[in-house]
Amino acid sequence: MRSVLKHNQLKRVITGLLLFLIFILKINAQDGDPSKGKELFNANCAACHQLDKRLVGPPLQNISEKRDQKWLIKWIKNSDALIKSGDKDAIAIFEEYNKIPMLAFPNFSDQDVIDILAYTDGGAAVGPDGKPIDEAYLNGKKVFQVNCAACHKLEKKLIGPPLGNISDKRSMPWLNSFIKDSQAMIKAGDKDAVAIYEEYQKVLMLPFPQLSEKDIEDVIHYTTVGDTEESVQLDAAMDNEDLKLYRKWIIRFVIALISLILIIVILSTKNVLLKFLAIGMIVLGLTYAAFNWLLQIGVDEGYQPIQPIAFSHKIHSGDNKIDCQYCHSSAKHSKTSEIPSVNVCMNCHKSISEYKGILYDGYDKAFYDGEIKKIYDAVGWDKTNAKYKENFVQKPIQWIRIHNLPDFAYFNHAQHVTAGKVECKTCHGPVEEMQEVSQFAPLTMGWCVDCHRTTEVSMANNDYYEEIHKALAKKLGTEKVTVAQMGGLECGKCHH
Amino acid sequence: MASDKKYWKSVEELKAHSPLIEKLRNDEFVEEIPIDEFLGNKESLDNSSTTRRDFLKYVGFTTVAASVAACEGPVIKSIPYVVKPEQVVPGVADFYATTMADGFDFASILVKVREGRPIKIEPNKLAGGTTNARVQASVLSLYDNNRLKAPKSYDKAIEWHEVDAQILAKLNELKSQGKDIVFLTGTLASPSTNQLILKFKEKFGNVRHVIYDAVSESGALEAFEEMYGDRALPNYDFSKVETVVSFGADFLGDWQGGGFEADFAKTRVPKNGKMSRHIQFEANLSLTGANSDKRILAKPSEQAFALINLYNKLTGSSLPSKKTSVDVDVEKAVKQLKSTGNKSVVVCGINDKNLQLITLAINNFLKSEVIDTVATRNIRLGNDVEVAKLIADMNSGNVGALLMYQTNPVYSMPKSANFTEALKKVSVSVSFAMNDHETASISHFALATPHYLESWGDISVQNGTYSLIQPTINPLFNTSQFQDCLLRWIGSEETYYDYLKKYWESNILKGAAWSQTLHDGFITNQPNTVTALKNIDLNTVSQGVIKEFSAKGFELCLYTKTGMGDGQMANNPWLQEFPDPITRTSWDNYVTIGEADAKKLGLQNFNVSNGALNGSKVNLTVNKVVLKEVPVYIQPGQAVGTIGLALGYGRNKGMKEEMMIGLNAFSLYNNFKNYQEVTIEKTDGIHEFACVQLHHTMMGRDIIKETTLETFNDTSINPAETWNKTTKVSMDHKPVAASSVTLWDNHDTTIGHHFNLSIDLNACTGCGACVIACHAENNVPVVGKAEVRNSRDMHWLRIDRYYSSDMNDEIADEMEIGVLDKFNQMEVPSNNPEVAFQPVMCQHCNNAPCETVCPVAATTHGHQGQNQMTYNRCVGTRYCANNCPYKVRRFNWFKYKENDEFDYHMNDDLGRMVLNPDVVVRSRGVMEKCSMCIQKTQLSILQAKNEGRVVADGEFQTACSSACSSNAIVFGDVNDKTSQVVKLVEDQRAYHLLDAIGTKPNVVYQVKVRNTNES
Repeated sequence: MRSVLKHNQLKRVITGLLLFLIFILKINAQDGDPSKGKELFNANCAACHQLDKRLVGPPLQNISEKRDQKWLIKWIKNSDALIKSGDKDAIAIFEEYNKIPMLAFPNFSDQDVIDILAYTDGGAAVGPDGKPIDEAYLNGKKVFQVNCAACHKLEKKLIGPPLGNISDKRSMPWLNSFIKDSQAMIKAGDKDAVAIYEEYQKVLMLPFPQLSEKDIEDVIHYTTVGDTEESVQLDAAMDNEDLKLYRKWIIRFVIALISLILIIVILSTKNVLLKFLAIGMIVLGLTYAAFNWLLQIGVDEGYQPIQPIAFSHKIHSGDNKIDCQYCHSSAKHSKTSEIPSVNVCMNCHKSISEYKGILYDGYDKAFYDGEIKKIYDAVGWDKTNAKYKENFVQKPIQWIRIHNLPDFAYFNHAQHVTAGKVECKTCHGPVEEMQEVSQFAPLTMGWCVDCHRTTEVSMANNDYYEEIHKALAKKLGTEKVTVAQMGGLECGKCHH
Repeated sequence: MASDKKYWKSVEELKAHSPLIEKLRNDEFVEEIPIDEFLGNKESLDNSSTTRRDFLKYVGFTTVAASVAACEGPVIKSIPYVVKPEQVVPGVADFYATTMADGFDFASILVKVREGRPIKIEPNKLAGGTTNARVQASVLSLYDNNRLKAPKSYDKAIEWHEVDAQILAKLNELKSQGKDIVFLTGTLASPSTNQLILKFKEKFGNVRHVIYDAVSESGALEAFEEMYGDRALPNYDFSKVETVVSFGADFLGDWQGGGFEADFAKTRVPKNGKMSRHIQFEANLSLTGANSDKRILAKPSEQAFALINLYNKLTGSSLPSKKTSVDVDVEKAVKQLKSTGNKSVVVCGINDKNLQLITLAINNFLKSEVIDTVATRNIRLGNDVEVAKLIADMNSGNVGALLMYQTNPVYSMPKSANFTEALKKVSVSVSFAMNDHETASISHFALATPHYLESWGDISVQNGTYSLIQPTINPLFNTSQFQDCLLRWIGSEETYYDYLKKYWESNILKGAAWSQTLHDGFITNQPNTVTALKNIDLNTVSQGVIKEFSAKGFELCLYTKTGMGDGQMANNPWLQEFPDPITRTSWDNYVTIGEADAKKLGLQNFNVSNGALNGSKVNLTVNKVVLKEVPVYIQPGQAVGTIGLALGYGRNKGMKEEMMIGLNAFSLYNNFKNYQEVTIEKTDGIHEFACVQLHHTMMGRDIIKETTLETFNDTSINPAETWNKTTKVSMDHKPVAASSVTLWDNHDTTIGHHFNLSIDLNACTGCGACVIACHAENNVPVVGKAEVRNSRDMHWLRIDRYYSSDMNDEIADEMEIGVLDKFNQMEVPSNNPEVAFQPVMCQHCNNAPCETVCPVAATTHGHQGQNQMTYNRCVGTRYCANNCPYKVRRFNWFKYKENDEFDYHMNDDLGRMVLNPDVVVRSRGVMEKCSMCIQKTQLSILQAKNEGRVVADGEFQTACSSACSSNAIVFGDVNDKTSQVVKLVEDQRAYHLLDAIGTKPNVVYQVKVRNTNES
C-alpha cells in the first residue's frame, strides 16, 4: 500500500532514517533493500513521482536502466547543482518538466538511493505492516468474491461445499479441471465429481473456462490462507443480520397465527361477547399497525442512493484512515458539514490516479480507476501531463443528498462537533465501513430528543459553561447536566 | 285536509297543450345540456369502447398510482463548489464593509453574505455608519427581477463590444464636430469618478458634467457657496445641540441627505437632568416635527418671514420682513436660542437660496458649534441652473451626446415632457441604468449597470472622509460599470478596480494599507478646504424673500417619504409595504390636508366595514400643470392653508405592475421648489388606502407613558406614584402591584441567559429602519396592498404612532361632559397634536396569554425568556392571536411564496436569494411572530461555546437593535449584570406595556420625556 505522508511526518521519517542509517552504513551493503526503498520512496518521492506514470516528475520504473547510478545519486542529492554544472541529461529533464526543479535530498545516503532504486527496479513490495504483500492472496480473494462467493463460503455449506483448505482434500489438477468444466468430469465418471454432484442435490456447478490457471491457483491459495480478521468480523455481523431477519419472521408468524385464531373465533363462536372482543382486538391491532406504518413515512433510515461517483468511504476513511473533517471541513465551523468541493478531492487525487487497494464487492481495478477519472473529467485534469486543461469548463459533481432534514428543523454541525464534542459516527454510524454511505439514523425528532435527554453536556475546560454549570449543578444537585437540562428540548431552539 | 287550490308555476300552464309544458314534463332539463362541448365529439364517444365501468377503473387506478407515487421522497441534490473560495465556509456568514450610494442615500454599511449572496445590510458602526429603511431595503433591489439584464440599443439587445464600438465612433464624430458631450448624473460624490470624467474630458474635448438631484438642495448649496466660496453643504454635529429651531427642515428624515438622527438622539435622552429642546416650524407633519418638543404650524410663506423675524429679533437688526401669525413663538424661540448660546442651531428646509443665507447668518451670529463649515458635505451637489441650461442647450441642438448615470430625469424632471423633447434632439443618448426605467427606455443606449453590491467605487460624502464600495457578489447579469465603460472609451486597458486602487494609493491612502482600508470600508483624512466667510448684504436677500414668498392661496409642500425617498427603489416591495411612520399608510402617496380645510372643501376620510380607510380625491393644479385624482388623507397637524404630497411615487416603467402605484408629484415640483402655490378641486371617486393603524389616539390609556422634563427632574416625587405609575390591584385588602399577582409559576430564568429588549421612546424617531431590518432578517413576506387593507400585514415589528387629543378625563370632569361624548372626543386627535412613536413587537411575556391557549403547544416559553413559536407544530387555530393583548401575532392567510397572486420577491428565484437561510419560510395556515431573533442569539451563544468564552455585552443583538441608529432599541442579557440592558431595565423610566394585565413582558419601554421648559 502506498500512502502520501505529510510534511511534518516527512521530517520525522528522515531523521529517524538517518539514525537508522548510521548503523546500517557499517554493514557495507551494496545490494539495495527494496522494502526499505519503498518506504523511502513513499515518504519522499511519491508526491511527485510514480513508478509507471508521469506526475510532476518522470516515471521512475527501471530508471537505473536509463541512467547511471552515480548520476542518479548526484541528481537526487542536489539536482540544481547538476543542472548548473551543465550536465546535458539534467538540463534536458529540467526543460522537459516545465522547469520545475526537483527538491534536493542531501540527507539521503548513497545506500538510501540504492534502496530506492532497488524498489523502482521492481523488488518485491511489502505491505504497510512490513510483511511482503501477498499478491496471490489478494488476487485470489478478488476472484473468489467475484466468481465463487455466490455459491461457496469458506467455512460453511451454501449451495456448494465449503472451500476452506480444499487443497488438502483434492489435488490441484483435479480442482483445475473441475472448476473449468465440472460437467465434463461428471460425465467422464470421475468418482469424486459424481459423489459431490449427488451430495449437492445434483445442482451443477457453473463452468469457469475463463479463469486462468494462475487465477485458480490464487483462489486455492486464498482458500488455504483463509480470511483475515477483518473480514471474519464482517461475516459475524452478517450472521447477526440474519438472526434479526429470522426474528422478524418469527414475529410475523406469531401475529399471523393470532389473527388466524381470532378469525376462527369470530367465525365459529356464538358467544357475542367473545366475538365482540375478538373483533375489537383485530381492530385495535389493525389501528396499531396502520399507525406504525404512518410513522415510518418520510423516515428514510437506510436510504442509500446511487451516487454519481461510487465513492467508497470504506476505502477513504476505513482503509486509508483519512479524518472525516479533512474533507468535511466545515463541520466544525458551520451548520453544514459541507460536501467537499472537487479541489479537495484533487489534493490527493493529483497523485493518486489509480486504485491499488483492496478490491471490494467484485469491482475490479478498472472500475475504481474509472471512478477516479470522473473527478478528472469534472475539473479537467490531464493525467498524463499532470496539468489542468486550459480553458476547460469545470463542472461540479452532483451528489445526491442522503441526510435530508425538513426546512423547519434547524441543525447545526458545529454545535454538535465543536461545542458538544459528539463523534461523527454517533449520528452517521460506522461510515468507515460503508462502501456507499447510507442513512444510519432515522433523523426523527424522537431520535434527536432521546439523545438530548440522555447526553451529558461536555462542559469541562470551557469558560462559557463555568458559571452556568455551577448554577445548574446547585439547582439540580448533580454535576452531570444533560442537554435537555440546558434547554435542549425547547422547541424554538431548532424550529425558528 | 287537502286543499283544492291549484298552484301553477308559469302562465304557460294555464294554456292547454302548451308544447313547453309538454317538454318540461318529459325532459329533466329545459335546454339541452351541451355535452358535446365538454366531452368532445358525440359520435366518437359512442364508438368508444370505454364503458362507464372502465372509466371508473381508470379513475381508481390513476388515483392509487398517484398516491403511491407520492409516497416516494424527492431526490435532493447536493452540489458543492468545484473550487471552493478559501474564505467561504458554507453555512457561515461573511461580513464585508462597503458603502451604499445611489445619489440619494449614502451610508457606510456592513453586508452580510451567505455562500456568496448578500442577504442583509448592517450599519458599519466602525465608520459611524447609520442605516435608514431604504438602505436596509437596498439589498432586495439587487435581486430585482425587473433589472436591466444586458445592454440594449434602440430596444434591441446588443453586445458590449458593439456598444463600445458604436459609442466610440459617435463620440469621435462629435469631437470632430465640436459638439458638446454632457454627463448628466446624480450626486456621485466619488473622487475617482470625478477624476475619470476629467480624463474623459481630456480625450474628447467638449465635455461637461452636470449634476442633477431629483430632490434638489440647490438653495442651500448656492447659499453656502456665496457665503463660504465652496459649493457644498455645511455639516452639523447634532450631538452638541441644546436648542434647535427648525424651519421646515426634516433633519431626522432626508433633509440635506439626512443621517443626523443618531447624533441628535444622544441629546434627546435626559442625562443629568438635561436634554435638548427642539422647536419646529412646519406645515406638513414631518418625522422631525413629530419628534419635536414644540411644533408650530406655519405655511412655507410664513416660515420664510418668521425666519427673517427671528434674525431681526436675535440680532436686533431690521431686515425688511412681514408680520406672521407665529411671531410670538418666534420671540420665544429667540429667547431659547439665546439661553443656550453657541450650543444652538437654526436649520431651514426650504429650498431657497435667500432663506438659506439668512439661516447661515443666524448660525454665524450664534457662533453655533453645531454647524461645521470646514468638514463640509458633498451629499447633494445638484445644480438646478446648470440643469436648466442643459435642457436649453439640448433643445438648440448643441448637445451631441448625453451620458446619464444614476439619474432618471424623464421621471423626475418637473417638466418631464420638455426634457423628453429635448432628449430627442440629442444625437446619442446613453442611459446607464439598473432597470429599464422611464429614461433608459427612451434613450438610444440603455446600458445595464451593476447594483452597488456588485460594484467597485469610492465615496466622499464628507470632506476628508473617504469610503470604499466593494462588490459582495459576482455580477448577476451582463452588466458593466459606468466607470469601466468610461475607461474603455478613453482607450484605457485598466479595469476600474485597478484605476480605483491606483487613485487611492496616490491620492487618498497616504501610506495607509489598501487592504486594511478596504476591510474597514473607510479612511479619515484632514478636511482640505479652507473656508472664508464673506459678507452678504442681507437687506437685498430679504427683499428677495419678500418677492419670492407672495403666495396667496393654498400652499403645497412637497416632501420625500421615509420609505420611498426619490423613488429610485419604487420596485422594492419591502419599501412599498413599509407603512409611512406618520400616516401609517403603505402602497400610496396622497395629499395630506388639515381637518378644517378638508371640511371646507368637502373632503373626507372614512372607514369601511372591515376597518379599511377610504378617502376622497382631488385634482391639484400648480402653475397650470394638473395632477389628477390625487387621494386625500386628512392629517392632524397639517398647517391650515397647506397640503403635503410625497415625491417618489408614480413610476411606471421597468417595474412590476403591483408597484406602479401612486402619482408622480415631480410634475408639480416646479423650479425644484419644495413649496408651491396650488389650487385644489374636489373630484369624484373614492380612493382605497392601505392604512395599518385605525385608531390615532390612546383614549386616555397610558400605552405610551409621558412626562415633562420638569416633572422628571423633580426629585421630591416618586416616579412609581406619579409619572411612571404601576397599576395596583387589591390583594388581601392591600394594594399591590398588578404584575406581582399571578396564577402561574414563574419560569426560572436565572440560569444562563435571559434576554430583554429595551426601547427608549425618547430616542426613537419612528424612522422604521428596524421594520425593514426585521423584514430582511426574518423572511417576513410581503402581502400587497389588498391584503394590507384587510389588516393582514405581516410585519413582525410595527411602529405605532399616537396623537394627543384635546379631550382627557380632567377636561371632561371640568366641563361636565358625559362619558360617551368624552370618548367620542377622545378619538379625535388635536389639530396640532403631540406625537409619540412606539415600536411594538412580540413582548415575550413571561406569563404569556398566547401560550396558555394554544391547543397543540405550538407556542411555548424558553428559559432564555423568549416566547417561541413552532411553525411546524401550529395548526392555525389563531387562539393565540386572539388572546394576545399586544396584537403582535401574524397569521399566514396564504402561501406567500411561489404564488402568482403575491408576485413579489418570493415569487421568483432571483428574489428568493435574499432569504435568510437560518430562518424558515412559513407556510400557509400557521401563525408567526417576532422570535427575538433566536437564530441570532443562538449563533452568538454557539460562537462563545466553540471558542470557550463567555458572551460579551453587545454581542447579543436582534435585527432591530442593530439597525437602530439612534440606539433606542437595546438588546441584551439581564443575567449579565454588567450589560447595558440591565441598567435600562432597572432605570426609573422603564415600564412594561399594559403592565396591569400581569403578562410580565421581556420588552421594556422607557418613559417619553418632553422638554417643555420655555425660557
